[in-house]
Amino acid sequence: MPLETLILDILTFFCIYAIFTMSLNFQMGYTGIFNLGLYLPIIAGAMIVAYVPNRLAMQIYNITGLDFIENNAIVITQLREHLQRDPTTSMFLLLITLLLVIIVSAIIGYVVAHPALRLPANYLALFTLCIAETGRVISTQTYWIAGGPVGIAIIVPFWWLPNPYYGTAIFTILVSILIFLIYIKLSNSPFGRVLKAIRENQDTAESIGHNVSLIKKEVMVISSIFLGIGGALHAFDMGAVIADGYNRVDFSFWPWLMLIVGGAGNNVGVLLGTFILVLMRRIMITSKHYFASFLPFDVIWLEPILLSIMLALTLIYRSEGILPEKVTKKKKTE
Amino acid sequence: MIPPAVAISAVVSSFLLSLLALGFTFQYVTLNVPNLAYSTIAFFSTYITLTFALFKFTPYLSVPVSFLIGGLISLMMYKFLSVLRRRGLSSVGLMIATITFDLGIYAFMNIYADYIAYTLKVYTRSFILSDYDFRLGEFPGVLFVSMITAFMLTMVFHLILTRTKFGMSMRAIMENESLASTQGVNVDSVLSTSWFLVGGIAGISGSLYPMWFSMDPWIGARMFISIFAACVVGGLRSIYGSMLGGFMIGLSEVLVTYAFAGLVGGWIWWYRSVIPMIIASVAILIIPNGIAGLIENFKRR
Repeated sequence: MPLETLILDILTFFCIYAIFTMSLNFQMGYTGIFNLGLYLPIIAGAMIVAYVPNRLAMQIYNITGLDFIENNAIVITQLREHLQRDPTTSMFLLLITLLLVIIVSAIIGYVVAHPALRLPANYLALFTLCIAETGRVISTQTYWIAGGPVGIAIIVPFWWLPNPYYGTAIFTILVSILIFLIYIKLSNSPFGRVLKAIRENQDTAESIGHNVSLIKKEVMVISSIFLGIGGALHAFDMGAVIADGYNRVDFSFWPWLMLIVGGAGNNVGVLLGTFILVLMRRIMITSKHYFASFLPFDVIWLEPILLSIMLALTLIYRSEGILPEKVTKKKKTE
Repeated sequence: MIPPAVAISAVVSSFLLSLLALGFTFQYVTLNVPNLAYSTIAFFSTYITLTFALFKFTPYLSVPVSFLIGGLISLMMYKFLSVLRRRGLSSVGLMIATITFDLGIYAFMNIYADYIAYTLKVYTRSFILSDYDFRLGEFPGVLFVSMITAFMLTMVFHLILTRTKFGMSMRAIMENESLASTQGVNVDSVLSTSWFLVGGIAGISGSLYPMWFSMDPWIGARMFISIFAACVVGGLRSIYGSMLGGFMIGLSEVLVTYAFAGLVGGWIWWYRSVIPMIIASVAILIIPNGIAGLIENFKRR
């Protein structure tokens, strides 16, 4: 892989995972919502990308007599020929998909929040994890959405550019920066301080007039929207959707580790943790073929072991993360 | 009329799930930590059973080995969590810590599956060992083994909990750990032993599953839904309630899916693991304290 492509690859993955970890930080670091099922809206985002723009493009270009899943390679080749010459339709498909992702993710965030927020912290985490796992089972078994466990190739909205991969990567980076700015703005606003108050003592926050339940639902909806967008961007960046790949290890446990390594409640720390771990993972992935020839098992299984060891060491030696949350200084009054 | 295969699935699943729910709730009540690695530890045993079958031993010989390995992993996990507890990690931090074991065992399971496939040239990514089972008349051996095992282990667990000094210490710790400690109970020793025991029970339960159900390395993640649903339905902090929940979820998972299959078609079996989650979500809304909470309220009246 050329150096500039490798750098762009790492940067894109960093941005996508930073959306996940910033969302997790908004829920857990700021509000104290322990969500282990953050991959549910991610799955929804990826599934919408797998279903909507491809079928819509088939309608627009009048591709009939072919099934998108069964004849995936043929359909994708035909769509590529059309979309290479048609930037307007490409951008229309991208925007309509993202709009749909936002709506569906917001609904998911609200629906999950309703029963989940009745539970104590530990069981909230378990409930969200099980709901997300159910989502994975449904998306994997429903063949007509994304081809089941085998997966499908999807359209790339930047085929009209000389280098579509760069187009997708730069779009992902720009959207991510926008999301980071929104999260930073929200975290530093009075709303962010209310969230911290809820995290520290829910009863006190309620006693001074904050509607804790409503605020938590808002947090779930906002972060769910961004997680959904992250899932959609991930799918576009990969150029394919494999439903089974959206599992708890890659899309929940890894973001949790990034959060813990970086430092919960600190956006800069979370970004640092994300960068360190994305860099490590990408180096492992790109160099795995060096080990493949002499190991009697697939090298990818060393990745969870690495994650496991890092998580254990972080929890033992630096449970507050590399950059712990800053304590807010009180203003001196005269 | 329910076909025999469906009825056997329902019975085996309900008995084994009740054992799994017992262990999960017990671990939660003692340390106030939901063990996310629990089902992965339990289903690690499926590969022990497979190994016995591949080397031409009766798969049931794997039960004591599974008990030992499940127990040892569980004990190691308890020791790890104890270290973190002493360092002041919150219960949510401890829950995240259990992920370390989940990932490690999951990776090891996959490495082992790859290794067996590589060396013995067999397919290890999806397997069922019903052909290795004995039969009593029309019925497979696992039907009787799962029932007897569940009855015996529940009985032994109940007797330990109610009739022994060790059980009394265990119950004292569950009620109030620091008070039990001041009364001379060796908390660490009692918890170490009990985590070993419930880890072993989980191992036994997991080792019997492949005798009737199809297994793969991802089974732990899938079955976690059923275990969680069992605990929610039974009662979040009640050991016996969660066993009852396990029994009900195990039965309904199979029978409800079968009923729907009759209405909409056989494809619904692929979505079988969705049923427990629907039941759990409804239970949270209607009976947040589960069946145990309902019984408790009834007694108070």
